[in-house]
Parts: sequence; C-alpha cells; structure tokens
Amino acid sequence: MLVLRPKTKFDISVEAEITPELATKNLKEIENFQIYCGNRTLKLKDLFEISKQGDEKKILLEGDFSKVKYIGFGMDGGEIIVKGNVGTHCGALMKNGKIVIEGNADDWLGAEMKGGEIIVKGNAANLVGSAYYGDLAGMSGGKILIEGNAGNYIGDKMTGGIIEIKGDAGDFIGTEMRGGQIIIHGSCGFVGSDMRGGEIIIKGNFELLPSFVEKEGFWIGDVNVKGEGKIKKLQ
Amino acid sequence: MLYIKNGIVVDPKNKIKAEKMDIFIKDGKIVEEKDVKKSECKVIDASGKLVVAGGVELHSHIAGSKINTGRVMRPEEMRYVRLVAGKFRACVGRILMNAPAIGYEYAKMGYTTAVEPAVPPIGSPHTHEELDSIPMLDKLALPVFGNWHLVLKFVAEKNIEKLKAFIAWALERTKGFGVKVVNPGGVEAWMYGGNMKSLDDKVPGFGVTPREIILSLVEANEKLKLPHSVHLHCNNLGIPGNYTTTVESIKLASKFSNDKRQVLHITHVQFNAYAGDSWRNVASGAAEIAKAVNSENVTIDMGQAIFGPATAMTGDAPFQFTLHKLLGARWSNKDSEVESGAGIVPIAYLPSNPVHTVQWAIGLELGLLCDSNKVVIATDYPNGGPFTEYAYVIAMLMSKKMRENELKRVHQYAQKATVLPTIETERTLEEVINMTRSLPAKILGLENKGHLGIGADADVAIYDMNPLEVDTSSEFEKVYKVFKTALYTIKGGEIIVKDKELVKEVWGRTFWIDATKKVDPSLIKQDLEDYFKYYTVEIENYGVDEAWMRNPQRIKVV
Repeated sequence: MLVLRPKTKFDISVEAEITPELATKNLKEIENFQIYCGNRTLKLKDLFEISKQGDEKKILLEGDFSKVKYIGFGMDGGEIIVKGNVGTHCGALMKNGKIVIEGNADDWLGAEMKGGEIIVKGNAANLVGSAYYGDLAGMSGGKILIEGNAGNYIGDKMTGGIIEIKGDAGDFIGTEMRGGQIIIHGSCGFVGSDMRGGEIIIKGNFELLPSFVEKEGFWIGDVNVKGEGKIKKLQ
Repeated sequence: MLYIKNGIVVDPKNKIKAEKMDIFIKDGKIVEEKDVKKSECKVIDASGKLVVAGGVELHSHIAGSKINTGRVMRPEEMRYVRLVAGKFRACVGRILMNAPAIGYEYAKMGYTTAVEPAVPPIGSPHTHEELDSIPMLDKLALPVFGNWHLVLKFVAEKNIEKLKAFIAWALERTKGFGVKVVNPGGVEAWMYGGNMKSLDDKVPGFGVTPREIILSLVEANEKLKLPHSVHLHCNNLGIPGNYTTTVESIKLASKFSNDKRQVLHITHVQFNAYAGDSWRNVASGAAEIAKAVNSENVTIDMGQAIFGPATAMTGDAPFQFTLHKLLGARWSNKDSEVESGAGIVPIAYLPSNPVHTVQWAIGLELGLLCDSNKVVIATDYPNGGPFTEYAYVIAMLMSKKMRENELKRVHQYAQKATVLPTIETERTLEEVINMTRSLPAKILGLENKGHLGIGADADVAIYDMNPLEVDTSSEFEKVYKVFKTALYTIKGGEIIVKDKELVKEVWGRTFWIDATKKVDPSLIKQDLEDYFKYYTVEIENYGVDEAWMRNPQRIKVV
C-alpha cells in the first residue's frame, strides 16, 4: 500500500495521474513519478510525502486533494481511498477497481468510465459519468454511488452502468442517454432530454419535459429523437 | 549545396525509370554537376534508396474557416496530442490537425507542396493567415467562384470578357491560384433551401444553369491561359445515382482544347461516382466515369475514403445538410455572404458498413481504371480521411494481393456492388510516383515542381527502399511502411526530415496568379461599385495584400 499526503496547501491545480499500479513500483520510481503543477513539470516527491507499506495494489490519499486532478484516471484494478476531498476528473476512463472518496468529489467524476466502482461519501459536482465534450458516449459500465448530492449534467450520453445518488441532483440528468441506469433518491431538475434508452429512476420531485409520454405508470421518451428511454418513480 | 549520391531515381516527367543517379542542389534548385563544387557539398549517401521529387498534394483542406470551424466543433480531435512543444511547435489533432501538425506530417511523408482547394473569397485573409502558419510546405489556394453573385450575373449576361476581368481581379484580391467551382449554382439555391439536381436546373434569381456556369468559367479560364484549369466539385455530390451528372460534367470538356494540360479538373470523384437510386442499393459508377475520363481532356483526383474517423467539410452546403440528416451527426452551416457557403459534419468510415465499403472501393477503382496520367492520389483531407494514409492507398494500388486481403476484411456488399475484386491492374512504382508528384504538378501548371530535372525546385524525398529489388506486388507491407515515412525530405534545398525524424522547420512560399495585365479592369468597375455598395466590407478593405503574407510568390500570366 502507498500512502500520500500533500506537503502544502496547493494554490494552483496539480495534475497527477495516480493509479493503484503506482503502489506496486519501487520507492524510487514512485518518488520520481512525473506530475504537473501549473506549467511546471515536477516529481511526486516534490509535492507529496510518500510512505510505502508493502506491495499491495492500493493507494491511501490523506489530506486535501481537492486541487489534485486526474486521480485514478484510466485505472485498471486495485483500490484508491481518499480521506478528504478530491479534484476534477477522478476515476475518469477507469476500467476496473475501486475508488472510495470520504469527502467530496469535483466535476467529471467517473467521466467515460468503463467499469469498476466509485463511492463518494460526501457530495459530487457536475458531469458525473458524462462524455467529454465532442465524444459520442459517456459512462459505459461500472457503478458510481454518491451518498450526498450531485450537480448538473449527470450521466450525459451514458450508455451503460449505474449512477446512484442518495441525495438531490441538479438539472439535465441523463441528457442523450442511450443505456444504463440513473437512480436518484432525492429530487432533481430537468431529466432525460434527447434520451434514447436506459432508465432514470427518481424518488423525489423532478421536472418532466413535454416530450415524454406517460405509459403504465412511467414515462417514455424523448419523442423528439424517437427515444425509448424510461423515467420511473422510485417506489 | 547538397550532393545526393548514388540514389535510385524515379522521375516520370523526365522519363527516368529507376536509374542510379546523382542529384546536385544549389540555392534551392536542382543543378548540373558542373555548377557545384563537390568538396563544398553536404553529401547524402542514398545508395540503394529510392529518390523522387517531393510530393504535391492537389486537394487538401488545410487552412481557412472550414477546417477551423471543424476544429471548434470537434474538441475530441484536439485532445489527441501528436507532439509536445520543444524544438518544434506543439501538434494536436487525430484527423483535424492544427497548422504546424499539418506541415510536419506532410514533410514526414515526403510531401512539400499542398493546395488548399476551397477558399471562401471573403475568408481569404483568414486562409492566408493560416497558410502562413503551416511550416515545411509551398502552398496554393483556390478561391471558389461557382456561386458568387457577380459570376452568376456575368454568366447570365453571357459576357466572357467581364468574367475574365472579374477572375483576374478576384485572384489578385484573394491571392488565389486558380478557379475552384463547388456545386455550381447549388450553394446559391441552398440559400433559399434548394439545390441543383441536374446540369440544367435554373439558379433562382439568375436563371442560369450549372452547365452555363461551368462552360463560361472554363472558357474564361482558358482565354486567360491560367496555369491551372477550372477545378470542379460536381453537382449532386454524395447522392446515389450521381455518376451520370459527373459523366455529363466531364463531357463538357469536349468543347475546349488545350495541348498543354487538361481543360477541366474534376475533384474528389469518389463522392460523385455512385450508381443506384438509394443508399440501400448504392453501387459503384467508377467504371463509367473512368471511361469518360480516359476519353476527354480532363483529370481527376480520387477522394479516397480511408477507414476510421474523418470530417466531411465542403463548400457544398446543401450536401452537408443531407449528410447531417442521414447520419444524425453534428452539423455546422456557413453562408459566406453572397459568394459561397459551406457545411461541416463529423463522420467515421467503418469496414462493417456496406455503404462505406463501397466508397472505399470506388476510390481505388478510379485509381486503377483511369489512365495513370489522369488520376491523382488524394483523400480530399479531411473528407475521405487523413492524408497520412497515402501510403495505404499507394500500397493498395500496387498490389492485387493486398486488395484481396483487404476485401476479405470488409463488408461483403463490396463484392457485388463494385468491380474492385475483378480488377487485375497493379500500378507500377513509376505510375504511383507520377500520381503523387509529376501529374499533380502538371495539372497545377507548376513547372518547377514534381520532378528532378535541372532547374526544378530542390524538393526531394528519399525513401528507404531499393526499387530494383522490391517486388511491390507481394511485398505490400514493406511498400506501406516505406511510403508512410520518408527517410529524408528536402525542401528548397534544406534537409527538413532526416532518418524519418523532423530536423528543421522551414517556411515555404505561397504561389498566386497575377493575370490583371491580361484584362481591362474598367470593364467591371461599375459592377464592383454596385456590388460593394451593399456589402459587409468596402472594396478597399476586401482581400489580401502581399505585404501581409509571409512569403508570397507572384506568378504573372502573359
């Protein structure tokens, strides 16, 4: 297991593609792992205290990582535990493994994620499980569980997998969604515009677009794109 | 001074078929042995390597508002990093590359000249700014004329003298090299929601037909004796059954004669060569087109489709709307005042898609069925795919065996809808060198490009292959690898690529045609005044001055 603690409070963003794979390398390689801070190229040891305990494919991040981007980006197996907040793009493009965030997550959490699991104990921001601008598909597999609230644009262009939000969410949930499931236990704003497939299940209040048709207790749409997505009430 | 020693030279223009020769370079030109002091020359040992002229790209959308709108529309393209800034500038883009990447990639492939074939005239300042940002290449730009209100007016008046004066004025103002015509009349009709479905439809507001527009522009172009012929993107592009329109357009060339070059160049013909009456029964019309091309004084370029991502961007705005409706993909439309228009739609060619397979096969059929002195290799970048895959096209044209392998991998619809599986032709090395160098230079009327004769520009590509030892028919994998990256590229006498790596950044010239001395500008003075009275910019602010350009090269027509 690898434990990282920030040496200082970061004023500008740090880009560090830290994946559990790193924990299996020797200490020297870990210390020299290339990261970026603003326009400077640095080594991991320049900004973080590093302690390695065994070769387990697991990373423990202690402290405030809310300015650190790309944690777990494209990871394929292993585990990351963040004891604090985490920055943008956490778990984006991940294929396998598990990320547990004990604080809050920022934008682009699990964007275009293909598999694995992300658990957020606090809140998440916008664009959870979405597609990057211009890409045709968002999250396609795996599971994201958010125990608090989430922001806008959740599951944009999602094609598979599950996003579950225990609290409330913002507007534009599941836009252009083609598959998978979004479950919201609280309330949210507009849902499912240009939705073609998949399910959005909501317990609280939400804003329904006029382009959805009611059928046997749920709604089907978006009729503008001849979609067959379903919006249901969570019983 | 450079001395390229013992290379195996292939130079179709000078009828050199794989001969061991030395090449001498001085002051950016190819010179005779006696003009240089060997002791002062930098020597490149090219023993057993293929030495050819630098490639000439005849049709590639590399600069201007279209590709730039494409870049804005496709942020996903810009996330692909090719080169991190350092000695060279940063390069991004998977298919839609940024300006330096375009220059570098062409240079790495052994190309040294490229044509931006569709400049909206009012966008010419932007186009030249961007051409000036592309390193490594000599550049040419073709403004579009086929839907310009003044052109339509002069065609309606049947006044060829005015049209000549206008072309000369417009080429000078836009620093253009020749007359491009895109979907004549169709883009004007599109501004009312229509299109031109045949050569005899009437353009709204002007009463002229595409046939009249093409004939008048060719006549004016020939009378002005411009180096390049009219460069035509035919009507009905991208519509099943359109090959008949293309054949009709090709036959218009029979009314003119020119013993120096073609009288009409038809571009990206693959997109204009569909038989059938819907996408369900689309088939290849390449054989009919090849027959017409071989019997008329015209040349074509392939518009080859390459499997993978691409971006459709043409000045043919109504076609782009059709494509957007067909694919459900993003779409951007541009109306360029009363001159032209354009549209952009992202696309991907898939080997599993029957229609895409037919498109892929048609390009190759054209490359194989047309006379090798009439067809140029091009992908209509980025419409058919990236220019970086020319090596694939070259290898496919040279090897029947490679085509058989590829035909097994693609959708089997190609077997019945095209004649590609039955074509036995295998292009020789000399033919493909002609199709990528001598021929495009001849079509453009660039006498110093595309060959290695004395006095030619010192643009040279050296490939890691001994043409005397390679069997191009069976060693297609090697041919692909060899043409993918040049061992050396020399531009204007400077080594820019060495051992397949970029070594130096150079800035080429931008050629433009000055035919103003051949016409009487007073003929169109009143027309221009009337036109600019209601225009966005004043006539004094219209166009590009030479002083704004990095390295303009005026070619005077006499």
